[in-house]
Amino acid sequence: MKQAVVKINNYKWWLMLAFVTAFQLLSAMPVVFEDKQASAALVPIFAGLIAVEWAYFIVNRLITKRQDFELEMIAFLLCGTSIVIAASVNTGYALKQLIAVLLGLAAHIVLLIILRNVDTAMFLRVPVAFASIGLLVLNLLLAKVTNGTLNWIEVAGFSIQPSEIVKIAFIFVGAVTLEKLQSTQSLTKYLVFSVTCIGALFLMRDFGTALIFFFTFVVIAFMRSGDIRTLFFVSTGALLGAGLVMYFKPYVVTRFATYRHIWESINEGGFQQTRVLIYTASGGLFGLGIGKGKLRDIYAASTDLVFGVICEEWGLLLGLAVLTLYGFLAVYAIHASRRASSTYYSIAAVSAAGLLLFQAALNVYGITDLLPLTGVTLPFVSRGGTSMICSWALLAFIKSADLYRQNNNIKPSVPRAQPQNTGRLPSTGNNSNSTGRRQSG
Amino acid sequence: MKHTTKRALALYVLVVAFFAGAVILTVTLYVNGGNWASNRVNRHLYSGGQLVSAGSIYARDGEVLAKSDGAKREYAKNKALRAATLHTVGDTAGFIATGMHSVYKQELSGYSFINGVYLLKEYGRGSDIYLTIDPKASIAAYQALGNNKGTVGVYNYKTGEILCMVSTPTYDIANKPKDIAENLEKYEGVYMNRFISGLYTPGSVMKVMTAAAAIENIPDIYTRPFECTGKLQTASGVVTCPSVHGKLDFEKAMNKSCNSVFAQVAIELGKEKIQAQADAMGLNAAFKVGRAMTAKGTFSLATANDLDLGWASIGQYTTLTNPCRMITIMGAIANGGVGLSPFAVDRIVSPTKTVTQRGTTTVSTVLTINAVTAQKLKELLRSNVKNSYGDSRFPGLQMCGKTGTAQVQDGKEPHAWFVGFSQRADLPLAVVVVVENGGSGAGNAIPIANKVLQALV
Repeated sequence: MKQAVVKINNYKWWLMLAFVTAFQLLSAMPVVFEDKQASAALVPIFAGLIAVEWAYFIVNRLITKRQDFELEMIAFLLCGTSIVIAASVNTGYALKQLIAVLLGLAAHIVLLIILRNVDTAMFLRVPVAFASIGLLVLNLLLAKVTNGTLNWIEVAGFSIQPSEIVKIAFIFVGAVTLEKLQSTQSLTKYLVFSVTCIGALFLMRDFGTALIFFFTFVVIAFMRSGDIRTLFFVSTGALLGAGLVMYFKPYVVTRFATYRHIWESINEGGFQQTRVLIYTASGGLFGLGIGKGKLRDIYAASTDLVFGVICEEWGLLLGLAVLTLYGFLAVYAIHASRRASSTYYSIAAVSAAGLLLFQAALNVYGITDLLPLTGVTLPFVSRGGTSMICSWALLAFIKSADLYRQNNNIKPSVPRAQPQNTGRLPSTGNNSNSTGRRQSG
Repeated sequence: MKHTTKRALALYVLVVAFFAGAVILTVTLYVNGGNWASNRVNRHLYSGGQLVSAGSIYARDGEVLAKSDGAKREYAKNKALRAATLHTVGDTAGFIATGMHSVYKQELSGYSFINGVYLLKEYGRGSDIYLTIDPKASIAAYQALGNNKGTVGVYNYKTGEILCMVSTPTYDIANKPKDIAENLEKYEGVYMNRFISGLYTPGSVMKVMTAAAAIENIPDIYTRPFECTGKLQTASGVVTCPSVHGKLDFEKAMNKSCNSVFAQVAIELGKEKIQAQADAMGLNAAFKVGRAMTAKGTFSLATANDLDLGWASIGQYTTLTNPCRMITIMGAIANGGVGLSPFAVDRIVSPTKTVTQRGTTTVSTVLTINAVTAQKLKELLRSNVKNSYGDSRFPGLQMCGKTGTAQVQDGKEPHAWFVGFSQRADLPLAVVVVVENGGSGAGNAIPIANKVLQALV
């Protein structure tokens, strides 16, 4: 067991990166050679992606002296897939997607620098919280109706999804240090912030993102309090709220009416899901070949339905491999959180990984009718700038736990000898319980 | 700190749920993928509602029964063969549920779980299906049935191969009649393969079952004297016999299909023994023919009195039987008690020329006749042809068999039945003929059986 761990830690990062590059070249080839005109534009795009990858890892290696880049490798693998699919639809999409990756990488690095000092992060929490709410309110005021939801803002020709940006803030604000945890045992302020965000998303009719926020809130609340009872009350409250929404806004229910009944309305409510299943089955285990699918002709193929395109054209096995990558991100985050030098990193890493995994599940299992279809994107893979940038920023939370870890030279800021009770209930509660038991006995 | 890190482990719950989702997705794809991929909106397979380049279907001798020319589906060249094989081959629109086009839709369209529709895209066609169906016998059966409704089935009781399953009314799929929806009388049940899905009152062919019960339970059955007065008085009413057969023994009673004797024997044996025999012969069971399921017969004496029991033992009362079931019973008797399940698909060959499926038979588990009883039944059935129907009606076939003239509702002619098999070692074939409202079995079913079998000699 120990040997296996050592082996994994001693892997050659450049070998792994060479593998990522090879995979990207292989998958890009059919698209590049498909059409001579497009290839002139596509070659620099793929060359650019690969150059950025190598540059990032080499510089990173020189500066941080680290070589555990698993997280970035996963992200780049997924981004490569995203760009290939975008390129196979439209050359312009590929360029936009590459730019999104670069912006995402920049956001990732900036966030890591900010997070380097936990005190800075703690100090910024309140302004970030207010800025987020401001952004959502602005969105509500300015946004125009797009695709039945109100979650886009047009800025200088680019459409931006504020809810994606607020996802980052949601974790940034939610994570806290141990000192803070011990000084305030209440979640109230964060609860108010969360309810405001989720409420705004409901008003935008972006139920998928609202669900993601709620799930992330549950993760953060659990990480902070460790109290199942709080979670129980929160969940009951959420259910009650959802019930009220359904009662007063019946259209919410009709939106999910086709769930598990998609074959009865294959040209209406079940249109996208049935096509995903039909073409996923058509692809078999090994796929029909990149660009040879039919799902790509369906609306939102390279955004919401991108997993179906992967299964049809690259094969179910590759689709499952993509899912495994998300699973690996989460497992990595759990391990990293245990080594982190501050509770802030631990909470941020676990909740960011939870968010990414939950969103991937909502997307993949939503379009395949295992879960209701909510129209959320697949992190790192769906075409779309804000989604890509947000995915990279969220990855920074996981990376921070890994990068700013406890080590033998630097003692953690909080000595281990300090009291460990971070539960919400005062210890007297426990005592009275035990007295009660004694009396009855 | 420690608490927080321990709490992180809770995320494993989500990881496990996430992968459980992946497993469920894969399993549902494995189970339903064929159905999903062959949906009419799949643009890999369908163009304008028509299957693009599906695989071909061939008869036993390699004759084409269906093939694709681009998006156009073509059928057998011979018009009579098209009509005769309509229910076996089926239609691309899916009206004929037990047809190859419906049952083997995935294979014809080139789908497999592993390759998806890749082979279709790569080779431009799906898998080919080679049937065990003999075109000559099918045409003979179709022509012999003429304008009658009914069915003819022939299968090899040593291998399970179905050589002929023709069902009428039928139509020429290349020129589908426009009046099917209006002309309900003429096209009654036209989409049903009566051999597999039909249920008929069996009449006297049921005496084979009653005879089996008698052979197994009455030691002196062959030596016992019987007398037929043209009717049998029971405690609850009268079972009539078409003739007054007078004094006769059991074999003669079988030859002459005497109702009085068989009703008497059944009442003597009692409900339990007759029911047990019927169940052992699978008269209340359905079974698989390839991937299609036969109709499930009924032979139930639960609320029967003596009169009902008497009538049931000669194939009346509430009894309903499936023709395919009867042919497997004949096959089992011919084959020393071992009933082999019939199949019509010899092999399925993928575009890469590999055989992906081979038709196989299994020993039927819902049909058991012991070897001694089977031998005695065989002798009785041989005696029927030799002493009653006449070998001249089956030239050179060494036939064994039993006719049936099943009374149906008042004012209608009875159904004409013949079930039997050839004893020739080089011709191990069992046959079933049902002519709906066709009159007497001996008069109208036997000639059809003979014509079809002669086509196979």
